[in-house]
Amino acid sequence: MPIGQKVVLIGGGHNALITAFYLATGGFKPIVLERRDRIGGGAVTEEFHPGFKASTLAHTLGPLRADVTHDLRLDKYDLHIIQPEPRLFAPTPDGRGLLFYGDATKTAGALSHLSAKDGARYTEFAEALEEMSEVFGRIASITPPAIDHPSPEDFWNLFVTGRAVRGLGKTGIFDLLRWGPMAVADFVAEFFDTELLRAAIAARGIFGANLGPWSAGSTALLLLRAAADPHPIGSAAFPRGGLGEFSRALGEAAQKAGAEIRVNAEVQHIRTKNGAVSGVVLADGEEIACEAVVSGVDPKRTFFKLLDPANLDPVFAQRMKNFRISGSVAKVHLALGDLPKFTALSDAIAPDGFREALSGRIHIGHEIDYLEKAFDASKYGEISTAPVLDVTIPTLLDPSLAPEGKHVLSAYFQFAPYKLKTGSWKERRGELANSVIKTLAAYAPNLPKLVEAAHVITPLDLETDYGFTGGHIFHGELALDQIFTMRPVLDWARYHTPVKGLFLCSNGTHPGNGLTGASGANAAKEIIHELR
Amino acid sequence: MAQSYDVVVIGGGHNGLVNAAYLAKAGKKVLVLERRGVLGGAAVTEEIVPGFLFSECSYVVSLLRPEIIRELDLPRHGLEILPLDGTFSPMLSGDYLWRVNDHAKTQREIRRHSRLDAEAYDEFSKMMTPLCRFVKPMLSMIPPDPTTLNPKDLKQLHFMLQRFRELSSEERYTLVQLMTMSAADFLDQWFETDVLKATMSASGIIGTFLGIRSPGTAYVLLHHYMGEIDGAFRSWGFSRGGTGAISNAIGSAARELGVEIRTNAPVAKILNKNGRASGIALKSGEEISCNVISSSVDPHHTFLSFMDAKDLPSDFVDSVKRYKFRGSSGKVNLALSALPNFNALPGVGAHLRGAISISPGMEYMERAYDDAKYGHYSQRPYIDMVIPSLTDPSVSPPGKHVLSCFVQYAPYKLAQGTWDDHREAFGNNVINTIAQHAPNIKDIIIDKQVLTPLDLEREFGLTQGNIFQGELSLEQLFFLRPVPGWAYYRTPIDNLYMCGSATHPGGGIMGANGRIASQVILKEWKKAAN
Repeated sequence: MPIGQKVVLIGGGHNALITAFYLATGGFKPIVLERRDRIGGGAVTEEFHPGFKASTLAHTLGPLRADVTHDLRLDKYDLHIIQPEPRLFAPTPDGRGLLFYGDATKTAGALSHLSAKDGARYTEFAEALEEMSEVFGRIASITPPAIDHPSPEDFWNLFVTGRAVRGLGKTGIFDLLRWGPMAVADFVAEFFDTELLRAAIAARGIFGANLGPWSAGSTALLLLRAAADPHPIGSAAFPRGGLGEFSRALGEAAQKAGAEIRVNAEVQHIRTKNGAVSGVVLADGEEIACEAVVSGVDPKRTFFKLLDPANLDPVFAQRMKNFRISGSVAKVHLALGDLPKFTALSDAIAPDGFREALSGRIHIGHEIDYLEKAFDASKYGEISTAPVLDVTIPTLLDPSLAPEGKHVLSAYFQFAPYKLKTGSWKERRGELANSVIKTLAAYAPNLPKLVEAAHVITPLDLETDYGFTGGHIFHGELALDQIFTMRPVLDWARYHTPVKGLFLCSNGTHPGNGLTGASGANAAKEIIHELR
Repeated sequence: MAQSYDVVVIGGGHNGLVNAAYLAKAGKKVLVLERRGVLGGAAVTEEIVPGFLFSECSYVVSLLRPEIIRELDLPRHGLEILPLDGTFSPMLSGDYLWRVNDHAKTQREIRRHSRLDAEAYDEFSKMMTPLCRFVKPMLSMIPPDPTTLNPKDLKQLHFMLQRFRELSSEERYTLVQLMTMSAADFLDQWFETDVLKATMSASGIIGTFLGIRSPGTAYVLLHHYMGEIDGAFRSWGFSRGGTGAISNAIGSAARELGVEIRTNAPVAKILNKNGRASGIALKSGEEISCNVISSSVDPHHTFLSFMDAKDLPSDFVDSVKRYKFRGSSGKVNLALSALPNFNALPGVGAHLRGAISISPGMEYMERAYDDAKYGHYSQRPYIDMVIPSLTDPSVSPPGKHVLSCFVQYAPYKLAQGTWDDHREAFGNNVINTIAQHAPNIKDIIIDKQVLTPLDLEREFGLTQGNIFQGELSLEQLFFLRPVPGWAYYRTPIDNLYMCGSATHPGGGIMGANGRIASQVILKEWKKAAN
């Protein structure tokens, strides 16, 4: 196919923008079509209350894969990444707390007031994750191999991955095999005695998933995430101005490379002819003819909403139908008149000061059983009465997001199942804000009085407003049977689809682990290879 | 030291006996040491209530390897498998689901609940058959070491990969799902009838501390299916005279081959010198010397009770300590004066001759698990019942019956109190649960035996009451069973081997563990002799 060929990308989320950048660099003419009035998908900054802005969905970076950051030259686009220290504050309801710093030794030091043994083991744990992350990082950066007809590149990848695995040594390889399928509660218990420490780390294995810490396979999710950031509790960085700034920079990089970006351009239909893509039809009736379409929206939307299912092979359609994409995460934003006072922040816990301690993420969920009980409710279609919260107060380091002296608090709420047993999300949305305020009040008693406004995004809103089918923020459950060569489905994990000229680049493909750009970058490589 | 043997086998359970029989068959002088007064370990039948023979722990046969039956000529030694046909699941609504071995009949029954499911059931069976064929050879193979570049191991790994690639795309897809998914998610793709899914998924949780929604439980569905294509006998059955009769048949075969078996002979220590096993010290003080020790008891007993940690590599001891047991089930055996009468299908009928499964719905099953997670026995447990006396009248006085109830969940570690405090209440709770479906149960009980996980540990030596000598979870299977690096029946001590359910391919009355271990022992013996 000729260079300079038009390629339409559906959705202006971070993966699509990155794919567009690489396609433009590779000599194609990418056109990104975004349904909403702004690009970014799940990485946006929006005003939720007059004067108060928040990173509406994602509130921290993945972080973006280093090679992607480098290729896009993101440093050129006025993007200021704030790295809070400490990264995470985990309080208990009885007024204790734990701080996680970027530096493992410093964290270990802070930990030793809870348990000297755990302090020592923490450094070991951080090192073990770092080692594993090299292997997982390698796996996340390759296209899953074709099983029937492996290409020379597949063999090469296998060889390189195999070498990285062997580098772990005998014990390391066995750890890798053993840890993956384990329940994350068992995994953290192999290292630590302190319940709070266990729970804070285990939370990473269940975030955004329909898993509790006692669910087998939750360790695999933690390790997958460690591939992007080997820090035991993950990343806390965010750009000044919110995540929307990150998307803006990606967009500008793509445009500079030659991509065209259009907002308020909703693709309604992917047109096909003889099993191949022939163009897209927009909601306003406009048609764009093209022979290549890359979908940055989730696989279910792509195949069942945008395509005529009659065009799909029945076996593929059946597998796609079985793709699990029912989410259990909601988001709540609070506009606060002042900074809440957390009782756990005594001088002993936060020598660096009160404000610093709150500047990263705040993890609510102090015991493994607390996390598991929160999950239990969702299994029966109920909202957790004591939810697990991942909270940020971005205004501490970026006051521009709120009027002077005031604050924004964003909380990921787990578990809020997409499918409710009783009532609908339309009627029950208020429960989420109340639950967040009530839960946080146990840690910061003055918080309820500070709330000026609350904004709730239910799983249903995630679907209708942001386009995440089933309200699943990762475009499909990250489970052992839906990762790597099985993401989204076996035989179609290489960013291709059964429709000629239609590709996938979203988190619904391998590795699909959040705002890392890995899916977008991997997909671009395959697409360029295919179209050339 | 008075006596000397080629091999001493610790534990007279079915695997220990199989192991001993094969070693004797190869000409070795073998001694089996059993702690209890009866043979069989968890495959044992005893007269607990006068006139009633209870198969106290294991109560049905499924995967006893046909080659073992053949090679040890077990039928001549009294083994007779009687068919156990079907699974009857009463529902609280008053309806029931009754699946039998007759495929067409089952399909008709399922159609009563859902037309779609009846069709899917057909496809499901067709799909499982080739997958069973794929997995079956793995049950008789020594797991390869995935960490070496040893050509033998690489060849085995390559062989497995090659066979995977030979599967059709559809088979691969299902296989990968079975290895990674939860039983509930997997079955949700196929069926819509709640009671059907609940009863099928139950086989995925037996002996594990997992719920039907935990990933990794779908695999056991395959295990469950496997017996059906063995061809030698029907998948599930009773052994005439109770499960203990299997052990007795293997024991008889072993004796005929020259094995000496001593009961009431509890082991105190495994003697070893310079990293080499040299003999056994019994609790009685007697010492027995031997060339090889083969332990059919679990790794906790073998390495932590019978040996000193200082004689073993420390990382190995750590792995053994990490090995997870956490028993999750109990057993209630009832002597009955009459048959239970089920509301859903009153009267005496063929439905009482198969398994009766109290698993009325998926939520019921999952809630049973939720209780256990926080240290409580299930308020409404999953119960798998059989009435062996209907098929084999020899186990009870005329007109009377034995009801054997496998109960899950009963966590070994309770949130409050000990099992000794809760045994009575646990047993009554099981009876009350049955009474919801068969109200006459309370009036027909002559006597009962309640086995909590603690009893299974004390009486039968099953650490933490795990019926499979260690949880059958993904991280403890195949080349990771029992511990990484030692999945080859060998141990860090020369001439000390493992042959029990804690090795690949795991628990159940298969006998495969004992047989494969005997092959490893004989091979190494030969190597050492050369």
